[in-house]
Amino acid sequence: MKKKVELLAPAGAFDCIQAAINAGADAIYFGVEQLNMRTRSSEGFTIEDIKEVAVLCHANNIKAYLTLNTVMYDHDLQLLRIILNKVKQHSIDAVIAADFAVMQLCKELNIPLHVSTQANVSNSEAVQFFAGMSDVVVLARELTLQQMKAITRDIERKNIRGVSGELLKIEVFVHGALCMAVSGKCYLSLHAQNASANRGACVQTCRRAYKVTDAETGEELLIDNEYILSPKDLCTIGVIDQLIDAGVDVLKIEGRSKGAEYVQTVTQCYREAIDAVDAGTYTQEKIAAWEQRLATVYNRGFWEGYYLGHPTGEWTKKPGSAATEKKIYVGKGRKYYPKIKVGEFNIESGSLKAGDTILITGRRHGAVKEQLHTLTVNGEAAVVANRGDKLTLPVATVVLPTDKLYKIVEEVHA
Amino acid sequence: MPKIVHYRNKCIGCGICYQQQPLYWRMSKKDGKATLLNAVTKKDVQLLDVNEETAEANRSLIAACPVRVIKLM
Ligand code: SF4
Repeated sequence: MKKKVELLAPAGAFDCIQAAINAGADAIYFGVEQLNMRTRSSEGFTIEDIKEVAVLCHANNIKAYLTLNTVMYDHDLQLLRIILNKVKQHSIDAVIAADFAVMQLCKELNIPLHVSTQANVSNSEAVQFFAGMSDVVVLARELTLQQMKAITRDIERKNIRGVSGELLKIEVFVHGALCMAVSGKCYLSLHAQNASANRGACVQTCRRAYKVTDAETGEELLIDNEYILSPKDLCTIGVIDQLIDAGVDVLKIEGRSKGAEYVQTVTQCYREAIDAVDAGTYTQEKIAAWEQRLATVYNRGFWEGYYLGHPTGEWTKKPGSAATEKKIYVGKGRKYYPKIKVGEFNIESGSLKAGDTILITGRRHGAVKEQLHTLTVNGEAAVVANRGDKLTLPVATVVLPTDKLYKIVEEVHA
Repeated sequence: MPKIVHYRNKCIGCGICYQQQPLYWRMSKKDGKATLLNAVTKKDVQLLDVNEETAEANRSLIAACPVRVIKLM
């Protein structure tokens, strides 16, 4: 029997968790306080949020994993203990880590452990080593499909079991940003600006344009692309059947610093793709359609990473995102009328008119994208809503003051 | 009088301030963040009146802190 793969989505805030749930994720992963690799870039959760994350995920039948994947120093150990006690108390399903202190404490507290990609596990001996303390191992992102397959085959052949007693599971990244260094081994940001990527403070030194100059002659070398350190993003929607066939158990989407609409779109595409493989309806036409949808949200251009055995990386051609759509902030939530299921929003910038596509993000909705057909502004039918206006529209879930309203526009790239 | 300000809630506990100026900074074992010694703390912001010399000694931290939560006023 074919095994069921798990789709694991990133969550940097509560609206992302809801988006992941709506889009059909089987599990989410999140970070708290300063002990995760996205401390600079995401809003982040606090220790107090652990309970709410657990309750929300479990009520929706998905798993929640806590990422504690930074380098740990002695001064972090007490905080680490406090966090792990909360994990235990609220039954978070597992901790993802690469530091031995975290692994040791998880063992002590009997908390299921997943070995992070930061540990760069690249062969079956290493997998066997980690099986003694974990249930899932996230492979290094630099392996090829063949190498993955050899590892999963070895797990079955040698009957390598994790702490739970079940066969050890293998997790791989399927989508999102790639690192120009072997994951977790990059010190560029630390050297350039004291900002350690391994403490979640990466300033993305690699994402800039560079020139190569001969120091002796001062002559500039000609290179065909100035973004020589910035790999394109990983996208495996076109080879997802091969990944599943390689025997991996968990498919992970990168992006804890991305917004709810990103989580929604990417998770949904991969959900559909996995289900299509399952149902035997995975076709080239569908792949093309998914690729088009994936391109609408943040990306640096796509390639299949190292999985197909490319000898060198593919590099970004321009700064920032190549997304084909852009969201423009227009306002925030104000009130909700539950009986008639209508939400009220304050327009704070720009304007909206009938025909515009809007995006609402918030902890109750995740990310909802829809087209405005008619407008009710300040209680009356109108053709346009401007700054200072109150816009009401039907919304299925409760609108909160923390909700954000955006206009979606097409982004044209030269 | 100059003032060192530390926006403690955004500190990521990387330890650079303590490594560079151990006379004025400690890493808290309680929550893993940096603590400006002898400072008054108001709503997670630490404030310390200092003389010119101490201000000078800490000036390089403004740029050294990776999340820019140390300021001189
Ligand atoms: S340098 Fe900044 S981030 Fe690092 S420990 Fe000191 S205050 Fe915190």
